[in-house]
Amino acid sequence: MARYIVRRLLWMIPVLFFISIVTFALAHAVPGGPFDREKPLPAEIVANLNKYYGLDQPLWKQYTDYIGLTRNPAGEFAGVLEGKFGPSYSSRSRTVNDIFRDHLPVSATLGLAALAIAVGMGVPLGVLAALKQNTFWDYLSMAVAIFGVSVPVIVLGPLFILIFALTLHWFPVAGWGRPSQMVMPSFALGLGSSAIIARLTRASMLQVIREDYIRTARAKGLSERMVIIRHALKNAFIPVATILGPMFAALVTGTFVTEQIFAIPGMGKYFITSITNRDYPVVMGTILLYAVFLVLANLVVDITYAFLDPRIQYE
Amino acid sequence: MLHKKRLFGLLTILMVLAIVLSGCAKGKATATEINLNLGTEPPTADPALATDTTSVQVDELLFLGLTDFDDKTLEVIPELATEWSVSDDGLTWTFKMRKDVYWVKYEPGKKPKKMRKVTAHDVVYGVKRTLNPETASDYAYVDYIIKNAEKVNTGELKDLDAVGVRAVDDYTVEFTLEQAAGYFPGIAGMWVNRPQPQEAIEEFGDKWTEPGNIWVNGPYLLETWEHENRMVMVKNPYYYDAKNVSIEKINWAMVVEASTAFAMYENGELDVAAVPLDDMDRVKADPQLSKELYIAPMLCTYYYGFNVTKPPFDNVKVRQAFSYALDRQKLIDTVLKGGQKPAKTFACPGIFGSPAEDPNFEGITFDPAKAKQLLAEAGYPDGKGLPEITLMFNTSEGHQKIAQFAQQSWKENLGVEVKLANQEWKVYLKTITEDAPQIWRLGWCADYPDENNWVLEVFHPTKGANRCKWNPDDPAAKRFMEVVEKAAASSDPAERKKLYFEAEKILCVDQAIIIPLYYYTRVVCTKPYVKRTYAPLGGEHIDKWTVEPH
Repeated sequence: MARYIVRRLLWMIPVLFFISIVTFALAHAVPGGPFDREKPLPAEIVANLNKYYGLDQPLWKQYTDYIGLTRNPAGEFAGVLEGKFGPSYSSRSRTVNDIFRDHLPVSATLGLAALAIAVGMGVPLGVLAALKQNTFWDYLSMAVAIFGVSVPVIVLGPLFILIFALTLHWFPVAGWGRPSQMVMPSFALGLGSSAIIARLTRASMLQVIREDYIRTARAKGLSERMVIIRHALKNAFIPVATILGPMFAALVTGTFVTEQIFAIPGMGKYFITSITNRDYPVVMGTILLYAVFLVLANLVVDITYAFLDPRIQYE
Repeated sequence: MLHKKRLFGLLTILMVLAIVLSGCAKGKATATEINLNLGTEPPTADPALATDTTSVQVDELLFLGLTDFDDKTLEVIPELATEWSVSDDGLTWTFKMRKDVYWVKYEPGKKPKKMRKVTAHDVVYGVKRTLNPETASDYAYVDYIIKNAEKVNTGELKDLDAVGVRAVDDYTVEFTLEQAAGYFPGIAGMWVNRPQPQEAIEEFGDKWTEPGNIWVNGPYLLETWEHENRMVMVKNPYYYDAKNVSIEKINWAMVVEASTAFAMYENGELDVAAVPLDDMDRVKADPQLSKELYIAPMLCTYYYGFNVTKPPFDNVKVRQAFSYALDRQKLIDTVLKGGQKPAKTFACPGIFGSPAEDPNFEGITFDPAKAKQLLAEAGYPDGKGLPEITLMFNTSEGHQKIAQFAQQSWKENLGVEVKLANQEWKVYLKTITEDAPQIWRLGWCADYPDENNWVLEVFHPTKGANRCKWNPDDPAAKRFMEVVEKAAASSDPAERKKLYFEAEKILCVDQAIIIPLYYYTRVVCTKPYVKRTYAPLGGEHIDKWTVEPH
């Protein structure tokens, strides 16, 4: 297992390298530059800005400077390999590292809370629906799930604000920092994912509870609770675990719409605004960050398989 | 029994939660605090680097300029400078400065510290730092009127001291200009020319604007800056006019989503908020909110430009016909709904030299009969024989609605089918700068309230961006250039007004290079306990506001 993990971690290097090249090329291939303004800047000022940020260098050199393989115009190795993700063109006093430091913990907190809600609601709902198939409980669970899937955060967020903040005055409308400000965004974000998990759990449970080994377990005289939790749910959880990986990466690295609606200082905004601003180092930084989370989350999922299903073994 | 205990425990937790949560629900402000929304994270607090309204708002409260603009009259008024004078040739401006202004450093948790007095040397340092190519300031170009500023900024001259600014003594600063400019006192007070604290900048580099590092001299100190989340400013006890600053603390939120900010306003978490377009009808109908509503003018104009090299808009009559065919008032009443004003000039009311409110300036207003006639005279009766026409705008729901209104109007009033196209903002900017389509949209907001900032800086065929591709050899363009250049150099207000009248007439009527559509407004709600001013140029003077106990 240890060898497997090391091998997977080593594989990350070429994967991230490839992603960085593709992202860099795509970001620069898009027309328009970071200093295009409605009030166009004089060519000299643009030249000053390009020089300041090293954008006057050939593209390959900009890339190797960014990675940290070559010396940047200031004469130093200051790239990703040195742990430096570069400046942000739209905010001179902050670097991409500052952005990670300030906003990643916020997104991660929100994402983890949402994920906890998603799993905490989705799995029991799915199990309930499967066990009580074609009864009122099944329909109710699935109605909740379909609501969650079909009502996007952009609707759910303002709806929550209207009900819980403006009408009931339970929570503040928006902002971040106090526990009361976390409740609405976490639920708005988690509900959609919980619906996906609920539907997946239900489908998977329905398949598993018809298996021979469940009948065997029951025949052995195990309590129903034991049968469901130890035998059925554990096996039914494999497809759910599969989607939890990407879901974790997506939720934890920031969610644009939720953050906008609830005015949360998370990472989500940077994924979008960096592209519209052509803020290349931030584009690179956010994509690489997401890639690292995705690769690691998938690795954890793969390791989890081995615990869930003894038939899966890694050499 | 156990069951009961559990239930009791659960109820206790719920009660505690409810108390805690309801306590958190409303941000309570005492009478000396105000809760406002910056709208977004300010990209910078460095006056040399600010380009956007949010950063300018922050700088307005932290740094004083030599001059400022009166919120009501838009006249240039003294701020750091007590008086100023100009030499006979109009080239040398001398500003006498106050002697009671201090740099203050505030490390949150400690007592604010008086560092030293603000002097003319700080102004000189600030101007030179803005113009230094290494600073790479976006807005350095507004200083190009200062002698050698352009050459230094473009690297043509290496010597920073060649810039036409010097400290005559500790409290007198002198600017030498490239050419006479009657509007210069307004430029002298702009954020890029504010005094900057050399010691802090050299000690902390790019991070000098963070709380604890920053030195300020304005009415407020920077206490907290949680990026993308909130900013807190507290009253500067050493500000020269501190006794007249009533609000002790400003809590800035950074809520981007207008509907969220307005919900916060309705919930009492913000004291001022912009009204989202979708809420406009509701707010106007609400007995309480309608009283709190105020439509304030903004010094901005929304316009459609033509590419005058592309047929059929190489023909002035077609351009005029398209302009006459748009009912601006109807656009405002049915699409925009924000109390905007129909435009007939490029520069909006309030700009010095703008003939927008001059009864002698007729301009182009809605006249479908005349539009039809002009189109027929141009050789396209009822739009017959016209090539395919495209109107392009940057992707946005708002611009789309306006474009659809124009498309419909041209169809109804001229019988012309116009195709709509849109592009993402930066791609769009590249397109309209390099090869603009036949009709395109843009807006323009004043950097300083003078026509020079409009007609010359935007539409001068060689000095502006010239997105209209107006040929500088065209006799009308030549006259336009002559007029705006003469007006820029003149220091006689009456003469300048006359010249700008002519320039606007050439631009918007005689040559119809653009279709001015409307002058912007800002629709805001303010709680009744806030007594406030409105700054048309942006940069609200919150030091002049008061909050009554509520």
